[in-house]
Amino acid sequence: MELKEVIKARTLEEVLDVLDEKGEKAKVIAGGTDLVIQLREGKVNPEVLVDISDVAELCFIKETGDFIEIGAATRFVNIKESPVIGKPFKGLQEAAGHVGSPQIRNLGTVGGNICNASPAADTVPALLALDAVAVIKSKQGTREMPLEDIYIDRGKVKLEPQEILYAVKFLKPQPGQGLGFVKLGLRKALAISTISLAVFVERGENEVIKNIRIGSGALSRFPVREREVEDFVKGKKMDNTVIEEAAEVFGQVLEKRLATRPPVEKDFKPYAIKGVFKEALNKAWQRTK
Amino acid sequence: MKKISLTVNGKLYQVEVEEDMRLLDLLRDKLGFTGVKEGCSEGECGACSVIMDGKLVTSCLIMAFQAEGKEIITIEGLQKEDGTLHPIQQAFLEEGAVQCGFCTPAMVLAAKALLDKNPHPTDEEIKEGISGNLCRCTGYAKIVSSVKKAAEYLNKGGK
Repeated sequence: MELKEVIKARTLEEVLDVLDEKGEKAKVIAGGTDLVIQLREGKVNPEVLVDISDVAELCFIKETGDFIEIGAATRFVNIKESPVIGKPFKGLQEAAGHVGSPQIRNLGTVGGNICNASPAADTVPALLALDAVAVIKSKQGTREMPLEDIYIDRGKVKLEPQEILYAVKFLKPQPGQGLGFVKLGLRKALAISTISLAVFVERGENEVIKNIRIGSGALSRFPVREREVEDFVKGKKMDNTVIEEAAEVFGQVLEKRLATRPPVEKDFKPYAIKGVFKEALNKAWQRTK
Repeated sequence: MKKISLTVNGKLYQVEVEEDMRLLDLLRDKLGFTGVKEGCSEGECGACSVIMDGKLVTSCLIMAFQAEGKEIITIEGLQKEDGTLHPIQQAFLEEGAVQCGFCTPAMVLAAKALLDKNPHPTDEEIKEGISGNLCRCTGYAKIVSSVKKAAEYLNKGGK
């Protein structure tokens, strides 16, 4: 397919109309930080490109009822600097701050991070740990699904050709909750994540870990929740023994999952995850106070 | 072809762009702003960085048609009409922060984007501000000291 038409959309209605009419022939572009490279390599060949980066209705971070909602075309820099997200969930802002470089954070969007479905997407583990919900729109209406369920495989999400990811939303922080994020990469800027991990915890009475959700990046074919580790930790009293034991469990889970991967992954990641997990959990716990 | 209008260094341009053209190609090949350098073409090296609506961006990752209505600053827009260098350029020269020069235009723009927002950056903030721009010659030390010097010049009201 040859790129025949490019559209700079200014309203959501315009975007939905184009998608409705062109279907699979059309592709949405926002920050372009992944897509422009894919277009040039011929990995994606749309006939029509619709730019949503200046659709104001898709660029927002706001409180709606019990939720914090982030528009799909919101830049990483805006998440990093947003006063709305709140200190306990600073881990999400740290995740956004770890993406690429200043240039990439000025362009790249949270919706692109999700829909591009890279295993190493930095903000997705944090959103998974926050149990975020994806809000999807088309001309026919709006539907919602857990963000976790949006992935089919590496590079593939459950969006129909007529649909667009409109926003992600998650419950506002409550007292006793915290989110920690840790990224392991080869260097500070512009390094693809080797491991990224976000841990959400809720502190109960007597230092009990009432709830925990763990979102991981670069440990699977797409970002996932780490339920085996969550189940091991949930309901236990927070102390060094639990942290050490949970880290061991996480290591074993990865040994199994990555057994057929190249040595750099199967040997390194199950070992490295222990330190990453402890750091992320401790960060999250400190933020519950 | 698609007709777009955009402002580059204060001047309004109306140009026809190919559908698959990047902002980088438009600036260099159509409009002649060759201070915008093409390096890696993947957003990793930062050599093609320009300031778009006040923000530092890599022009290799933006499609030309997306820049409709945008205000862009390239290195060509920094010096005054009489040829006087911008304080950041002056500081780079004085400190010896330029060797082969390929990264320099974008590095100066990265410094500008940083200093416009944060007139008194720490060393750490300077390093963060230029973290998306690779330089293979200088080892960065002299770039960091130039940005500090440029900040002083700018805070004194420009040299």
